[in-house]
Amino acid sequence: MQLNFAAKEVVLKLVYYGPALSGKTSNLKALHDRVDASARGRLMTLATRDDRTLFFDMLPLAIRGDGMSLRIKVFTVPGQVVHASTRRFVLQGADGVAFIADSQIAETENNAASFRDLRDNLRELGRAIRDVPLIIQFNKRDMPDIRSEQELRTLAQKGREPVYAATAVNGAGVLETFFGLLSSTCTKLDEEHQLSQKLGLTMTKLLETAAWQFGCEQPYQDLVKACLHGAKP
Amino acid sequence: MSDGPVTLVPAAIDAALPIEELVDRDLLDELCQSLFALFGIPIRLFSAGGSTYGVVAHEHEFCTFVNTSKDGRTQCRATVDAVKANSPPSAVVHPCFTGLAYHIEPVEYEARVYGRVVIGPFAPATLRELTTEGRTALAVLDGDKTAALLAKVPRAKPETVARVAAHLRTALDIILFNAHKTAVTSSTHLMSVRENFRELTEKNEKLQAAYNQLKEADRLKSSFLATVSHELKTPLTSILGYSEMLSEGIAGPLAEEQAEFVRTIHEKGTHLLAMITGLLDLSKLEIGTMRMRRENARIADILRDVCSTLVPHAKKKGVELVFDCKEEAFAVRVDPVRLQQVFTNIVENAVKFTEAGGSVRITDRIVEEEDGTDDEIGFAIMASKTSYVEIRVADTGVGIPEAERDRVFDAFYQVDSSSTREHGGTGLGLAIAKRVVLAHGGSIAIEGNTPRGTVFVVRIPSAETVRASIPTVSLFEESSPLFDETASGSDRR
Repeated sequence: MQLNFAAKEVVLKLVYYGPALSGKTSNLKALHDRVDASARGRLMTLATRDDRTLFFDMLPLAIRGDGMSLRIKVFTVPGQVVHASTRRFVLQGADGVAFIADSQIAETENNAASFRDLRDNLRELGRAIRDVPLIIQFNKRDMPDIRSEQELRTLAQKGREPVYAATAVNGAGVLETFFGLLSSTCTKLDEEHQLSQKLGLTMTKLLETAAWQFGCEQPYQDLVKACLHGAKP
Repeated sequence: MSDGPVTLVPAAIDAALPIEELVDRDLLDELCQSLFALFGIPIRLFSAGGSTYGVVAHEHEFCTFVNTSKDGRTQCRATVDAVKANSPPSAVVHPCFTGLAYHIEPVEYEARVYGRVVIGPFAPATLRELTTEGRTALAVLDGDKTAALLAKVPRAKPETVARVAAHLRTALDIILFNAHKTAVTSSTHLMSVRENFRELTEKNEKLQAAYNQLKEADRLKSSFLATVSHELKTPLTSILGYSEMLSEGIAGPLAEEQAEFVRTIHEKGTHLLAMITGLLDLSKLEIGTMRMRRENARIADILRDVCSTLVPHAKKKGVELVFDCKEEAFAVRVDPVRLQQVFTNIVENAVKFTEAGGSVRITDRIVEEEDGTDDEIGFAIMASKTSYVEIRVADTGVGIPEAERDRVFDAFYQVDSSSTREHGGTGLGLAIAKRVVLAHGGSIAIEGNTPRGTVFVVRIPSAETVRASIPTVSLFEESSPLFDETASGSDRR
């Protein structure tokens, strides 16, 4: 988090992590398409010719109101194993992480390997994974041979992170995941850095403003609650 | 990986970049020029700090004329100063005292104001004549000329100017976005390279440490083997000596069964001695303490000696041993005793694995090669010619599968373990042979024979080649020189 006291400006960094081809960039594209143009900048993608993320994607979002300004930079990491150092680089200073998993049964081991990679990279950066606001998204719910919703629900109930189901290519679950992450991150930052005091408004108000400025049709609470285990936002 | 957390270089992706500083100002000038060419209205781009970073410095004839009067000049300067000081949060039209106007609006990138664009002065479409204030200030000037020049100032509706400004904003946004993208791409790339380098350096250090440990373990193993072998040899010499004396009846006559037992003791003892000697040789070759005595020799003589030694053995087995070497004059500079051991081993091996009725043929030929990498610059000049004698020992025996051919040079490796029991052998001969040949700057390889059998191909460089390359002939990097170049001195095992 970067804080400019004088301008009452806070900059958050959210990172979408996950195995190669799990749909991190698709999430960002869908988010870009769903957020009102006035509240977002251009989606910056640094991809190779075959559409594989080379360095990262970045979507800048901005929320303004009541004399404060909240900027959110949403990043994706390159999922391919070879880009290990770039992943660490992008992960540096992340305020919250959304882990985008692939729902296909065949990808279960790749999801686990990428999660281990996330944990190792955070450790390399001197952070424990349990201290970082984290949510999990099971993407590609439209694919055949996927893990059942019941299975995910059971897993979600046992785990401590909110779990969201999504089909990023058609935008389903994308805003829910984003607000789930934003909500977890803001709550954590408020506890640790008194974010509401610094911005001069409560986190609820902040998230309401964000949902309104992004042009969401639903209240943000409904989006956050859409997680599979009933949400501990 | 390091134990402590990694601190990466602060990233351009996280920092609020002075984006206007990354933009090529000539590009912005060009952009302003092209819009000026289209509409005839001056355009200026100011950074948030107030400095200009794109400008079309054009003055309308009307403005030049206005500045010829003192009052006009004063008013004009006041207007320009006010325009420069005006940083509105959104687009505004700023009036000039003459009735002309400026369009001012902020330039934003990612919801942050980076500067402003000033379009003007232009004549609003509704302007017919000077304002009252203008008429007063310019009263001293020729009224007709003033009116004529005012009419020449480009006219535009405020909406049109707003559209021009919107277009300019979009173009600027694209330029800023690209500058931003280029900056983060290059900084990320640079950082990735640095981070990879750091990781690789760390891994290399670990590998080097592991390699050093292994090398030390290997040295210890060889030295252990050498010591143990040496200690084993001493009592074995006594066993062999006494069993030989017993079998020769020096200690009195033996019953037939006793004599057979003693012969077995002697035979097995001899085998054990061969194995221990082999192990000693191998470990000396591996740790680089084997001394060899290099002298001028003819390869044909060495091979002939080997053949004459082994002919009786081959005949006994019913294998034809053919000596067919033609390069009588080919001189080599080698340790003849060691090389003779090598060929004895190879030929003996060939005879051993060839059934009765088969043959083992020894041939030779001279091979000349250009040494060097063929894509090396100046290869035609730099390549040195090396000549070798290639000795081929071809048998018609059981053959060695292609996949196994490299491994037969490993110590104790047997293609088929049952063959050891059948044919005997220490399992060290070929391992030693390979190391000795390599130490001579030569090579050893195995090819298949047609229709069956194996061909051992040994190459030994000519005496001339060896003389040209000394002292590069060395097997192990930490070894002491393997060869004594003096003519005198014997094998100091």
